[in-house]
Amino acid sequence: MARYSLRVNGERREVDVEGDTPLLWVLRDELGLTGVKYGCGVGLCGACTSHVDGEAARPCVRTAADSVKTRITTIEGLSRDGDHPVQRAWRELDVAQCGYCQPGQVMAAAALLARDPDPDDAAIEEALRDNVCRCGSYPRIRAAVRRASRIMREER
Amino acid sequence: MISRRTLLRGAGIGALVVAVPVPALAAGGLVPNVFVRLDDSGRITATVPRPDTGQGVRTVVALMVAEELAVEAGDVRLEQAHGDTARFGSQGVANSTSVRQLSTPIRTAAATARCLLVTAAAQRWGVPVAECTARDGFVCHPRRGRLPYRAVVRGAAALDPATVPVELTPPEKWRLLGKTRGGRVDARDVVTGRTRYGIDSRPPGGLVAVVARPPWIGAVPDTIDDAAARALPGVVDVLTLTAPAEGQGGVAVIGRSTHQALRGRDALRITWRGGTPTADSRAWLADLRASLPAQSPIDGVQQVYSMPLLAHAPMEPMNATADVRPDGVTIWAPTQDPGSLRTQLARQLGVPAASVRVEATASGGAFGRRIEPDPVLEAVACSQRAGAPVQVLWTRADDMRHDSYRPMSVHRLSAEIGPDGLPIRRAHEVATWGLTVLPIFSNPALVKASGDHFPYTVPGEVSVVVRPAPLRTGFWRSVYAGQFVYAEENFLSEIGKRSGLDQVALRRKLLPAGSRLHKVLDTVADRARWTSPPARGTARGVACLEEYGSAIAVIAVAEPESRRVLRVHAAVDVGVALHPSGVRAQVEGCVIDALSTVLGAQITVREGHVAESSFGDYRWARIGQTPEIDVTIVQSDSPLGGLGELAYPPAAAAIAAAMAGDTPVTSMPFGTDVG
Repeated sequence: MARYSLRVNGERREVDVEGDTPLLWVLRDELGLTGVKYGCGVGLCGACTSHVDGEAARPCVRTAADSVKTRITTIEGLSRDGDHPVQRAWRELDVAQCGYCQPGQVMAAAALLARDPDPDDAAIEEALRDNVCRCGSYPRIRAAVRRASRIMREER
Repeated sequence: MISRRTLLRGAGIGALVVAVPVPALAAGGLVPNVFVRLDDSGRITATVPRPDTGQGVRTVVALMVAEELAVEAGDVRLEQAHGDTARFGSQGVANSTSVRQLSTPIRTAAATARCLLVTAAAQRWGVPVAECTARDGFVCHPRRGRLPYRAVVRGAAALDPATVPVELTPPEKWRLLGKTRGGRVDARDVVTGRTRYGIDSRPPGGLVAVVARPPWIGAVPDTIDDAAARALPGVVDVLTLTAPAEGQGGVAVIGRSTHQALRGRDALRITWRGGTPTADSRAWLADLRASLPAQSPIDGVQQVYSMPLLAHAPMEPMNATADVRPDGVTIWAPTQDPGSLRTQLARQLGVPAASVRVEATASGGAFGRRIEPDPVLEAVACSQRAGAPVQVLWTRADDMRHDSYRPMSVHRLSAEIGPDGLPIRRAHEVATWGLTVLPIFSNPALVKASGDHFPYTVPGEVSVVVRPAPLRTGFWRSVYAGQFVYAEENFLSEIGKRSGLDQVALRRKLLPAGSRLHKVLDTVADRARWTSPPARGTARGVACLEEYGSAIAVIAVAEPESRRVLRVHAAVDVGVALHPSGVRAQVEGCVIDALSTVLGAQITVREGHVAESSFGDYRWARIGQTPEIDVTIVQSDSPLGGLGELAYPPAAAAIAAAMAGDTPVTSMPFGTDVG
């Protein structure tokens, strides 16, 4: 056990865990950020996708020790009121079915749009390639990323 | 006991307590029945008697209640029923029944509340009821103005519901039902991460358990050395679980945190005995092939189809949390059937059902897997041992390797062809396994009834051989229809190809006059511009299904050379679509399941265990493989139909037929070795 100081959603958070604890379980078990979803634990499904230093990353394959000097943003910290353009587009197009993978999908899409504000379908499919949705919401996800891009353009 | 009603169609299934009058409560509020209530502030609360597994039942219930109470869906607060079947009726999500069975009781419940409110206002004003209407949370009268619901709640509660006539809002006056606007009621919670699934429902102070599961099918622990595990920080206890009373069996490590429990499991030293350490799914397939009768009853065109094992693999792995105390039991679980779960737990623990509370949390997918109670039984055993709330968490590999799989099957189809190239007699011989999670499903007649929905006028016979299942098998979206329809529609396509017939025209010709399928087939053919020849390098496939009280036709367009499916068109008749966006979503989801299972996802068994362990090797479709999906809703006068499973079988058949081009389909996945 050791104490780690993490910067999560703009706040300093102290946790006492083993250093090899995956960041996923730190966020979920220690900090109560359960919007970060466990889906596979080995970086294959994208359900836990969050932002580390502004880039889409998989907390299930990072450790607490790796994460001390990084800025971590989870779905809970993406926007103050749930109105990030991606979140709005997701609601407008009624994307979710069970919804379990959607925090990860939303975070992957938000990271994509932050670096490429007007992605084509190929860029969308590349960025979200390893975010599995078992309900089959992919057609709506693709449309919602395009919609979010338009919302961002209109409001710039 | 798990209940399943596949064969009990028709009236009276899962009958719900409709608008049972409950005496007005002294505490205030209007409680006209068990499904809907208004408190003194006029706030509307509805109880959703089925868990939401992604099929959108919470949204449909909110829409139904809001429609009848003349408010917006967002004005309706939703609660889940906690397994109390005496009050709320069946709570099982199975056989695509939720909307079919809930529509009348829920709408009647809300309409009863509205009629009581309107009557109370009319009495207050001294005007005829017929002059009053409900609108936007008010009762309105052309001259008296309007009263908010909260002002008439008490008056309404004093009325005897039996004396107030109840009328449902007719479809032509619907504002919400059947309309395209409005999405999931829980959408904001989903995209902000606030939705609480089973995995998020561990209470404060709760422990976590993970289970070391048999390394090959049927193995049980022989020797257990848990000293190293117990020495690790945060490991609280280790216990042996006995199947089936405590789930599927294994050794559970209970820890203070998920990571500590996982590390504890890694540190266990277990030897195993028994089971089938050499089992191989290729041998199972060969056994099924050998189980078919030596001779087909028809000497004509013939094709054999092989179907793989499939896992459910919901995004939220199996989990459950139990808090077993002397005075009662609370379960938090993503379950498809809190009612049966509560009954089973009460019996097993020897406690009254009233002391068992099953919180059906949001569920990260289900697809038939969460009808089964095994993760809950594990959690109960762990909580009893620990004397604290315990969450049992399955890793992804646990989930994929210890599922209740869709059975393998082999189908031999034969037909005698008439002079016009159409089949005039057919035979469909099936060899498969039963469903171990519900042993009555080893009855061939039940398997046949679940799978056989051949809609065309070709006389013939369907025969089923059921072999003992060599591993755990269960209900998988569409159950046996997934295999049967895939074989039947691909065989019909094969006959069409051999006879040089148009695939849509031949189906039109073979459908009986008056079939609901004519309309959806014509509609989908229009949408897909069927009469124009396919673009160069593309091929098309067609399939139909009438089942669950609904009808669907699907046309898929693929580019076989690149193994890409370009477009899937579907036309669907569910009677009246109460939530069109939800209807489309269910069809889209089934199309992606079809795409995944036709293009490569299958479970295989080698050296006694399931080879696949995650989404790297269980090759579910990704966004880049997703075709354009075009869903047309065909309204009809038919009663409300079910939809959760309808599109999977014909979508799989149509996609395979399109991918095959001029070659025959012989398996699922298409063009891959099965097993």
